[in-house]
Amino acid sequence: MSMNTFNWKVAGLSGEGIMVSGLIFSKTSSRHGFYIFDYTEYPSIITGGHNTYQVHAGIEPVYAQKEKLDLLLAMNANALVEHLDELTSNSLVIFDSSDDKINIAEFNLPCKSLDLPMVKLAKEMGATRLMGNNVGLGASAYLLGLDLEILNSVIHDIFARKGQEVVDLNHKAAKAGYEFARNAKAAGQLGNWDFAAFEKQEYPESRVTFTGNEAVALGSVAGGLKLFAAYPMTPSSSVLHYLAAHEDKAGIVVKHAEDEISAINMALGASFTGVRSMTSTSGGGFAYMTEALGLSGVSELPLVVFESMRPGPALGMPTWTAQGDLQFVVTASQDEFPRFVFAPGDAQEAFEMAKLSQELAEKYQGLVILLSDKYLSESRYTAELAVTKLSHERHGFNQNPVSDETGFYPRYKIDKENAISMRSVPGQQGGEHINNSYEHDEYGLATEESQMRISQMDKRKRKLKLMKSEIPQQFYSGSLEDEITFISFGSTKGPLLEAQRQLAANGKKVGVLNLTWLSPFPIEQVSKVIKESKRVVVVEGNQCGQLANLITQETGIKLEENYRRYDGRPFYAEEIIKFINK
Amino acid sequence: MSVKAKPAYPFKPTWCTGCGNFGIWGAIKMGIGALGVPKENVVMVYDVGCSGNMADFNDHYGFHALHGRALPVAAGIKLGNQDLKVLVIMGDGGCYGEGGTHFINLMRGNHDVTLLIHNNNRYSLTTGQMSPTTRKGTKTKSTPVGSIEEPFNPIAIAASNNAGFIAREFAADIPKLSARITEAMNYDGFAMIDILQPCPVYNPAMSYEWYRENVISLESEGHQSNSREAAWKQAMRADKLATGLFYKEDKPSYHAQVKNLQQSSLTKQPISDIDISSLAVEFK
Repeated sequence: MSMNTFNWKVAGLSGEGIMVSGLIFSKTSSRHGFYIFDYTEYPSIITGGHNTYQVHAGIEPVYAQKEKLDLLLAMNANALVEHLDELTSNSLVIFDSSDDKINIAEFNLPCKSLDLPMVKLAKEMGATRLMGNNVGLGASAYLLGLDLEILNSVIHDIFARKGQEVVDLNHKAAKAGYEFARNAKAAGQLGNWDFAAFEKQEYPESRVTFTGNEAVALGSVAGGLKLFAAYPMTPSSSVLHYLAAHEDKAGIVVKHAEDEISAINMALGASFTGVRSMTSTSGGGFAYMTEALGLSGVSELPLVVFESMRPGPALGMPTWTAQGDLQFVVTASQDEFPRFVFAPGDAQEAFEMAKLSQELAEKYQGLVILLSDKYLSESRYTAELAVTKLSHERHGFNQNPVSDETGFYPRYKIDKENAISMRSVPGQQGGEHINNSYEHDEYGLATEESQMRISQMDKRKRKLKLMKSEIPQQFYSGSLEDEITFISFGSTKGPLLEAQRQLAANGKKVGVLNLTWLSPFPIEQVSKVIKESKRVVVVEGNQCGQLANLITQETGIKLEENYRRYDGRPFYAEEIIKFINK
Repeated sequence: MSVKAKPAYPFKPTWCTGCGNFGIWGAIKMGIGALGVPKENVVMVYDVGCSGNMADFNDHYGFHALHGRALPVAAGIKLGNQDLKVLVIMGDGGCYGEGGTHFINLMRGNHDVTLLIHNNNRYSLTTGQMSPTTRKGTKTKSTPVGSIEEPFNPIAIAASNNAGFIAREFAADIPKLSARITEAMNYDGFAMIDILQPCPVYNPAMSYEWYRENVISLESEGHQSNSREAAWKQAMRADKLATGLFYKEDKPSYHAQVKNLQQSSLTKQPISDIDISSLAVEFK
């Protein structure tokens, strides 16, 4: 057990309130002013699978899930079987022998346990079986030194829409669990087990916790998103769910289209009228959308595509994580055109980059792909929303377009000094032009003429130079003294930072360079860090080393050492440390 | 290398002699003209096909979509700016084949767009292969021993799938077609006109003469356009191809049922003053 953190997990049957119980415990932790990282696992079936929700909390920032548990709330016997390996002699297990006929001696636990009659206590007070989960939360709160009042405030906020009676019953259940645990401990039932509870911290006004997908959705709204069209696909669907549920408050229009092809083409249609638009999907749906990416490219229409990766090929493993679509999204299209590809590393970056994506798509009149994965999309992170009031200027709109002697407006005017030509939108007199899927001339009319083809290709490519000027410093936490420099992209940032911290505690210095800009690529910084590093290890969630290959392609530097996984599971700091100590 | 002089804008049609598109094109211009709407407020969305090549022959704002995808683009344009009139030009291949799912699903939403299907029973741009409306047994380049599939019946589908405005007209009857286009564009919702279009090159059997012998006007039959059952019955008849207004029903369009579009179009909603503080509350 490391100082001033706890690692708590609830596990049980999916469909039995595991997710909401986990969320309540996470919010309770956050409202104590703790940083949190929540990780969930669930199978791709309707009901009856094993479901877990893990909260890693601490008074210093926490970056990822941890393997070893301080407290396991096992809602059934299977939860004990599944997570036995995650227990140490310092752990504690809460279970309910009366509910799932558990004979705890059979499990040979390495640690103490508390037999908590969650269902019985709930039913005694007239509550339902599922409300028994709150008995478990109450006991967890006592044992980890959390404030029952704060737990109750979260229970209130979560269940308020179900009425005061439900809130009251859940409060009673939480209190019963809290008191049962207190009495059990006082009676010596937990033996010498103890948890060194830590103090409540300041809870800043700007503090939030959200999942990567919620961060993307809110960041997009903050960035001026107006039209969102999508087709559900795990693990991207919660972006659609969030935006649909908040359509009114966000002042946007959300369309669940009949398929991904329709979704992306609707977004492009709306973009043609001048509104900021977006679609979202996972790898399979992104494959459907590929043809329309080229349409955004050739007709210079702003578009943001959110792609949350899961293992493939084809349908792969829907509810698990992967980074195997990198190579695909960087080049997906017929022929060539410049694009932005961003892979935020945590929810804070997801919020900021989703906001930025709306801006840059309009500014550069083209495609932005925002890349996530199940791990970032559905894990919950602590973040700060410092700014909640935003004002955006518009880019590239000609307020008074004038058609020339052709009767058309030169929307795609060739100007070697200005790569970005001014748009007109339908409804503007004098702005008539064609937004064309085919190669086109300056007015958008189709052409197969050699010189015009070259001119328009070159015009689009000229934007790349300006796009490169936007590249910020990539996240780099390290120094020349580091024994190892890890290079990663996207969500792998968290486990690497966690590994860095654990290694530092043991006197081993390692650095982390996490890339969020994959196109255009931060060539200078990456080259410099590699050249100055003693030993570089590329860590990524795919089989063939797509990031390592991209680095070689962009910098000419070949990297030999790597740590990869492609089993659908996220990286764990403990395993990264094991790998480098090999 | 000599520099070519700029061609005259818009470009001149490149359709084959005798193509049904000439008549439809004329009817479209007349039909739009009769609307009395400023030129810049009419957006034409074109699919890929001989008909879609019209993108370069008109002087309105245009969007030449990917093959089969004109309808979602059109729906997106209308969701972005509902003050525009949106006219969609598709062929039978793009609308009933490649983009069939959009045809079926967007009509259910009553998106306020007008859809013209230039139906010549062939993929003529790609030199005459079978299309969804090709009659069973027809020999084409892709079905040299005769097509096996039964033909798609767009009117019957639309009648049973909640379309609000369903019509069919003949390409050569320009006055009737242009009046129908105006009527369709004035309709607040999804309006489709399946247009019988001769293709003398790849479908010579269904010539202008053939159509004149095989069409019958609904008006002459005393058809009532307020009954889906009657529309479906006319769509299913085997003896003749009925033309005219099969069905029309007044009902709210898609955008009229979207709360955030009640006051104004999205294009008129500024992004200079965004406040997400109320949205952030649930993440506390």
